[in-house]
Order: sequence, then C-alpha cells, then structure tokens
Amino acid sequence: MYRIPIYIGVVLLLLGATAFGVSLWEGPAAWHTDMRTLWGTPIALFVLWIGLAHAGTLISAIFLALGFPLDRRTSMIAELSTLCSLVVAAMFPLLHLGVIENFYMVIPFLDARGNFANIRSPLVWDFCSIAVYAVVSTIFFVTHLLSEKREPLKKMVRPMSWLLFPLVLWVHTVVSLDFAVTFVREWQGAFFPLYFISGAIYSGLALVIILLMAEHCRVRLLEKLMLALSWVMAAFWLWEFMLKGTFSFEVVFLGAVVPQLLWLRPIRDNSFVIMLVAVSVILSLGLERYILVTPSEYNVGNAFGWVDLGLVVFSLGLFVTLFFVLRVKLRKPLEGDDVVMGELSVQDEEKANPVVGELSNNFHLLRLPLLVGFLVTLLYVLWAVSVVPDPMISLSVANIAPLCLPLLVLVATVTLCAKSFWQVLAPKAKYVLVVLMGVAGMLVGMFWAGGSSAAAPGAVSVQELATPKPAEKIWEARCASCHGRDGLFNEKFVREFYPVPQKLSLERLDSLGMDSLVSVILNGRINMNAYGDRLTEEEARGLVFYMRLLAGEGK
Amino acid sequence: MDAVLNSLCCLMALGSSMFLWRTPRSVFKEGGLITLYLVLFMTFSYLTMEGSDATLEYLPLRMLALCICFSVTSIRSHKTRYLVMAQILWLWIEFFGGVSLVYRGLDMPWTRVIAIGSCAAGSVFMNHISREMEFILMVYWIAIWMFF
Repeated sequence: MYRIPIYIGVVLLLLGATAFGVSLWEGPAAWHTDMRTLWGTPIALFVLWIGLAHAGTLISAIFLALGFPLDRRTSMIAELSTLCSLVVAAMFPLLHLGVIENFYMVIPFLDARGNFANIRSPLVWDFCSIAVYAVVSTIFFVTHLLSEKREPLKKMVRPMSWLLFPLVLWVHTVVSLDFAVTFVREWQGAFFPLYFISGAIYSGLALVIILLMAEHCRVRLLEKLMLALSWVMAAFWLWEFMLKGTFSFEVVFLGAVVPQLLWLRPIRDNSFVIMLVAVSVILSLGLERYILVTPSEYNVGNAFGWVDLGLVVFSLGLFVTLFFVLRVKLRKPLEGDDVVMGELSVQDEEKANPVVGELSNNFHLLRLPLLVGFLVTLLYVLWAVSVVPDPMISLSVANIAPLCLPLLVLVATVTLCAKSFWQVLAPKAKYVLVVLMGVAGMLVGMFWAGGSSAAAPGAVSVQELATPKPAEKIWEARCASCHGRDGLFNEKFVREFYPVPQKLSLERLDSLGMDSLVSVILNGRINMNAYGDRLTEEEARGLVFYMRLLAGEGK
Repeated sequence: MDAVLNSLCCLMALGSSMFLWRTPRSVFKEGGLITLYLVLFMTFSYLTMEGSDATLEYLPLRMLALCICFSVTSIRSHKTRYLVMAQILWLWIEFFGGVSLVYRGLDMPWTRVIAIGSCAAGSVFMNHISREMEFILMVYWIAIWMFF
C-alpha cells in the first residue's frame, strides 16, 4: 500500500540530494541571497516545515487535552508527521549556519571556552524551543504508542498533552520573533506571533488531511477546521496589506479562495478534490514563507535557482520517505489491534466526569513535575543573569522569558515520565537506556568543553591582500564581518547573531596592551578564532594599530 | 491611545462578545463570526489610529482577545477552563507583541502583562463562577485595558 509513496520519496530525495550536497559544501553562497535576502530558501523551508510539524501536536495533544474526540490512528499519524517534519526542518538552519560543527554554540550555556550564546537573539530562543519540542514530541509519541497495553503509561498521556499544548504554540511564536524583532521592515509586526501560529496550524492541518487521504480515510472535523482557518488567514493577509501594502495574489488565491470550494457539496464529497485543496493550502503557505524570507522586489521568479528548487525537492523527498518508511515499520502499534478510523478514543469515564474532576486528576500528576520544572527554570534564570560575561549585553526579563517555558516543559516531562517508563521497560531496554544516558552525558560534556579555536587546515592566505594599506584590507577581509568596518559592532549583530563580538574602545585597547591583543589575534580567545596560521605577527601588530585608529575615530 | 479611543475599544469588544457562544452553533459559524470581528477590529484600528504608532499592529488582536474574554463568561460548561484559556490568549498577545516592540525601542507593558497573568492564574482556582464574579472579572479587564 505504501510502496509507491516510498518510491516517489526516494526518487525526490535522490534528485534533491545534489542540491543539498552543494549547499553543504559551498555554504550560503550556494542558494540565492542578495543585499536584502540574507536567509534565503533554507530558512523559508525551515519555517514551512516547522509549521507543518504543528499538526501532530495540535491534533493529538490539544484535542486530547481539551477532550475532543479523535481516533487513535489519526492521532498517531499526526504525531508521526510532526516528528518527520521536525527532522526535515532541523536540516535547514544547520545548512544555513555554514559551520555545522559549531552548532552547539547556539545553546545558551556557558562552556569551558567562555562561550555564552547571545540570549538577546531570538535565534537562540528558536534553537532551544525547537530542540525541546523535538524531545518532548518524541517522548509523547513513544508514550502514546506504548500506552495501549501499558497502564502506567496510559495515565501519563493526557497530563503530557497539557504540557505540550502551550509548548507547540510557544515554538511557533518564537519562530515568528526571529522575524518580528529585526530591522527588516517587511518582517516587523507585533501581530506576527498569532499570525504565524494560525498559518502553522493551517498548513499542518492540510498536511494531516493529505496523509489521511493516503490511508483512504477522512476526518470531517479537520476539513471544517481547515476551512475556518482559511478565513482567519485571509483576515491576517488583509491586515498585512493594510499595514504594509504587501499583497500576493497567488498566496491569497491558493490559501483563501481555493479552500472556499469546500462549500460545494459535490466537491466536499470528492476525496481527490479535498486533497487538491489541501495541497493548494500548503503551496500557498510555502509561497508566503518564501516571499517573507526573500523580501527583495524581484523575488521568487528571479531568485529561484536550481539549488533552491533542489532543496525544496530534497525536503519533500526526505519527509515522504521518512514518514512512509516509519509508517510501515510501526504499522501494528500505530493502528492498534482493533481500532478503525472514526472510532473515538475518548474514554467513557472522561466523558462522564465534569471538567473540574478531570483537571484535578491531571493536576495531581502534574504538580510535582511542574514544581521541579519551575525551580530548575528559576535557577537557570538566576544563573544566566549572573554569568553573562559581557557587560555590553544587558539582559532583561523580556530577553530570557522566551526560554523559560521550553525549559520548564522539558524538565516537567522528563520528571513525569521517568518513573512510569522505568516500570514498563524490559531489563535489556533499561541497560540500553542507561547507556544512552551516558552517551548523552558525554555529548553534553563535549559541548561544554567546546571545539578547537584553531583555523581549519587549508585556510586561504591573505598575503595578496597585504598591499597598499595592508592593515585596513586585512581588517575588512577578516575582522569587519564581526567587529564592523568601524570597529563598533552594530545593533543588528547584537540582536540577530551570536556570539557577540567585542566593541573596541581606546580604554579597552589600552588596558589590554599591544602584546596581549596580538596574542588574542594569533591564538584566539573565547569566541575569537585564532588567526595564527593566516596572519604574521607583523600583520597582527598592524591590525592593533588600525584598531587604535578606529577606536580613536569612534571616540 | 487616549481615553475615548480606549473606551470605544472596550465597548466594541463588549458589544461583539454578546453574539459569541450564545447558542450551540457549528464550528463554521463561530469561526466565521470571530473572523468577522477580527476584520471589524482591524478596520476600526486602521481608521482610528496613526499608522506610525507601532502599537496599532496588534491592537485588533488585543481587542479580539478582550472580546473572547468577555464572551467566555456566558459559556455554561467548562467555564473555568475556557476563562483561563481566554486570558492566557490575551496574555500571549500582550507579552509577545510587547517583546516584538521592545526590540523597536518601545517599553514593555509590564503592568498590563502582570495584571492579566495574575488574573489568569487566580482563575485556575475558581471552582464555581457566580454571576457577580463574572461581573467583577469584566470590570477588572476593562480597568486593565483603560488604565494599564
């Protein structure tokens, strides 16, 4: 039954693998970028796939938490689509980093080299929220998968859904802040959090509807919700037009007009047309994210090269392959023994009980994990405020708050599940778990230790640049990207990137002294990479003189 | 925003809330009504506020959140749950809208955020919500809107 989708997925994956490989090799130069398009296709795809990843949690956790009736197979398929979408989404920020091996520097944790990610940057919030979302979604999926025949896990599912409910909304809110807090006019919008959440849920619902079609099933409730969300999205697009004057006919037509076909009964009864409508919704949202990420006037048509197209194909192929392979592998536990589509899984006792009793039961299980999570989060906030190494990074509650809920949910989920999982695991699985935890501990230790700050072998020499005004040329080639051409890093860097470089001032340069600064340039320090194999000592001294010149001008 | 505009916002939210969740309706009708309100609040905000004022960007969403808060007081079953959720929606819009604007140099509306947050947290423990309590809550929300 699933052989054809798997074949299609593999073909798409292989076709797109070339573009992915080129992007991996060449970095951000491989896809389209220009003076206004800094992020390009990978980040557009990341936002799209993160949005699609919302479907699983929406349908399973939120419906479960609120007591909406939904059958087990629909929930499990939705959760599986979340995990697969997250894997696809995670590829693209890593690709965009250019230096994949240094990804751990985004984690807001002080390491042995003194790195401390810039907590003011929403990219750091983004990494943390999505990482926690991936971990908690996986735990939720496994718990839900195993819960049918294991009583200790069964009672964990609903309290966990209450933990996931805010997290899923939090994640996409944080994604929206990646855009909303920047200087790019098209990205600014205090309405972005709710706008992004609506868009994510809308596209996620469309994905789940398509996946259910592959199972030859339909859930009318999801189709109704998709139609209702098409109006909400139309309202947001209207608001964006009123505020900024930006409007895309294709996006509105595919995302707001086409879904209205569901009003017509003959169309509503035709599964194939429903699938086409869902595809139209995903196309609309994909196009919308691409237009958002590439704000240049001449975007889309001109900008889309073969690598950009290849990355789209790669993401599609990876998702289809991953989803259907896992679907086949997990066929039995996913479907259950005698569950058919449309059968409700809401327990009778929950239907009968008033909501007060239901909340009390969930709260009874959740209170200790929540308390532990709250205390750990409080400790983290106190620690983060006390260890920020650079006095120029002024942290406020608004900067740290976006990290708090993911941390709280992670700790609470692990606390909630630890005992139940330990009870149901087979002895062998317990050994495997202990080994995995050890490996995870080692990885944390490695991240804490940090990588070498030495330059990669074969780094390009800058000898040819050391002509008329060598120090200035070297500065602009090597240093300006972080420290700024004038030595005073701009606010944009502090807001959007990490880690934060030093701002040059005459007092600071005087206090460090010539030899110390030359040593920092040649050997590196904290986030500053070593340039010893690319610059001579004379060139480093020339740079220090140039820095003093810049600091004097700045003053 | 001046007091007159604030009062108008509250009145519109209160007036609109009269028609939500009153009778059992389909998801289409409730969704359609909410979208209609959103468009109405957007038009109102666009016409009454200056385009250069960045708080305009999320005013319609704040109005919608206030409207939903008012409307859930008329829900018969699961009132506590939906009351808490409606206030959290409002808190969400205020907080993250505020975070977006902090990065553009505006002040975070901390008093408003704390007032809504504490009311939402307090509502969790309300087992029974009387009509008097509904009225007090509505007055409290209007006070938050007008003064904070």
